[in-house]
Amino acid sequence: MKNSSSYTGIAYLFLAPALILMGIFTFWPVGFNAYLAFNNYSIADGVATWNNFEHFKYIAHEELFHQALKNSLIYLLIVPVIQIAALLVAKLVNNKLPGMTLFRAAFYIPVITAVSIAGVVWVNVYKYDGILTWALQLMHLIPQGSEGQVDWLGNPDVALYGVMIFTFWKGIGWFMVLYLAGLQGIPKEVEEAAILDGANVFQRFWKITVPMVKPTILLCTLMSTIAAMKVFQEVIVLTKGQADTYTALFYVYDQAFRNYNFGRAAAAGLVVTFFCMILAAIQFRFLGEKK
Amino acid sequence: MAMNKKLTNIFGLFGQYAGLLAFAAFTTFPFLWALSVALSADPSNTWLFPRSFWPTDISLMWFERVFQEMPFMTYMKNSTLMTFWSIVGVVVVSILAGYPLARLRFPGRNFIFVAILATMMLPTEVAIIPNFITLKNLHLLNTQFGAIVPNFAAAFGIFLMKQAFEAVPQDLVDAARVDGATEMQILWRVMVPVSGPSIAALGIFSLVNAWNDYVWPSIVISSREKLPLAVGVFNDLTGPFATSYSMVMAAIVMTVIPVLIFFAFTQRYFIGGLDGAVK
Repeated sequence: MKNSSSYTGIAYLFLAPALILMGIFTFWPVGFNAYLAFNNYSIADGVATWNNFEHFKYIAHEELFHQALKNSLIYLLIVPVIQIAALLVAKLVNNKLPGMTLFRAAFYIPVITAVSIAGVVWVNVYKYDGILTWALQLMHLIPQGSEGQVDWLGNPDVALYGVMIFTFWKGIGWFMVLYLAGLQGIPKEVEEAAILDGANVFQRFWKITVPMVKPTILLCTLMSTIAAMKVFQEVIVLTKGQADTYTALFYVYDQAFRNYNFGRAAAAGLVVTFFCMILAAIQFRFLGEKK
Repeated sequence: MAMNKKLTNIFGLFGQYAGLLAFAAFTTFPFLWALSVALSADPSNTWLFPRSFWPTDISLMWFERVFQEMPFMTYMKNSTLMTFWSIVGVVVVSILAGYPLARLRFPGRNFIFVAILATMMLPTEVAIIPNFITLKNLHLLNTQFGAIVPNFAAAFGIFLMKQAFEAVPQDLVDAARVDGATEMQILWRVMVPVSGPSIAALGIFSLVNAWNDYVWPSIVISSREKLPLAVGVFNDLTGPFATSYSMVMAAIVMTVIPVLIFFAFTQRYFIGGLDGAVK
């Protein structure tokens, strides 16, 4: 039998495709992005010139970028909501009842739909005379008739929350599946014993379900936080940034591919990366303590 | 007492189904509406709720018009090809990388694993700018290969495969080594066959991701005839066809249905195979 050091060559051979591809498309961009952020870059001839922090000075004073960062932080509100809802739904579909396969599939439909395609439908849901207006009028939450008709994605007071509801709708199924996988690891006997001991539904949920799937909860919370910080596809397809719905990464995308200011986009991207790393570090500390 | 318990059970069951139905209504209502509008030959009820959740004059005429006026089959073919090669790319790269990380000892292993995991925390979307420039330099802009290759090596797939290979009993590996199997043979003859569920989950996951990828292909590909469904249909629906809601909804239904059918048949493998990832 070979000793361990003779595996080095074969190990790196197996890792080579992944390392090369990640090197080009994941690690190199981190460095190149940082380089771009300090330069004026022209996409046509690829010339970069040092500009003495000009991009950072610009975005530090720009109202639009501040707005975008603030919106991305507001977006974090979605994390606890989506996690609690996903765990409750996973609990609900973790029973063997007739028709359950159908329900699981129904809950997963938004996840397997392209964000662009789902976005087109939701733009119409949010139209001033769309489903949302109808539903709210039905519940008498807004005035009847044309008086209550709001262009939900055009109104700066509510547009961002409209985009958040879309993210919630699109993402909850994914977390549900992850929680479902975690829940299926809980032995049936534990819950049965608790029922015999007379624990009610809420006690069983808080004292058994939550502690037993804690690793999944932490993993999902981390994923969901980073995802919330990175939201921008929803903005592209729903509002294109109008009505105060710029998010930090949408600003990056917008500066790069509409203004063709790659340097400024990279500088903003660097700021977003910084925020994500702080959030990840906070959560890693949290993860480390609980394990 | 027994009567009482039965009553509680029925009550609980009723509550459960009520919750399930309410949530199903929330996740499916946009598509139910889209389906109903697409099936209505007469669009006059489109904005009359709840009436519009039921089709008026059922017909398939809007679907026929989508086929006639939009290069739907071209988009479909592009999506199928790009998705197929994405799955092959992701699965092969992840299997190859997962094996040494799970089962071989070599210098630098921990560092590489942590570096790969750390990419999950980075906003990789920021990479669209450097990657765009890289593809330009490699002359891969406006190619379908350029639209999928950055997704081949991803932390999630490598992590999933590593977890799966770690669960394979050491006895199997030792037996193969005694028989003189090379590492490649161990990987393909021992590891891969017993990790079916995880590989299936990764395949399904990649399929859904590749089929639905929107932003990156929309940046890379500029020729209409090379676009996948998620981009092509979106461009057409927000551009030339935006005025006919019936056609928009018909095209949306046609785009969603292939993934839906696929997922209906594979969901059991998907949920089972993700087990390893969350433990």
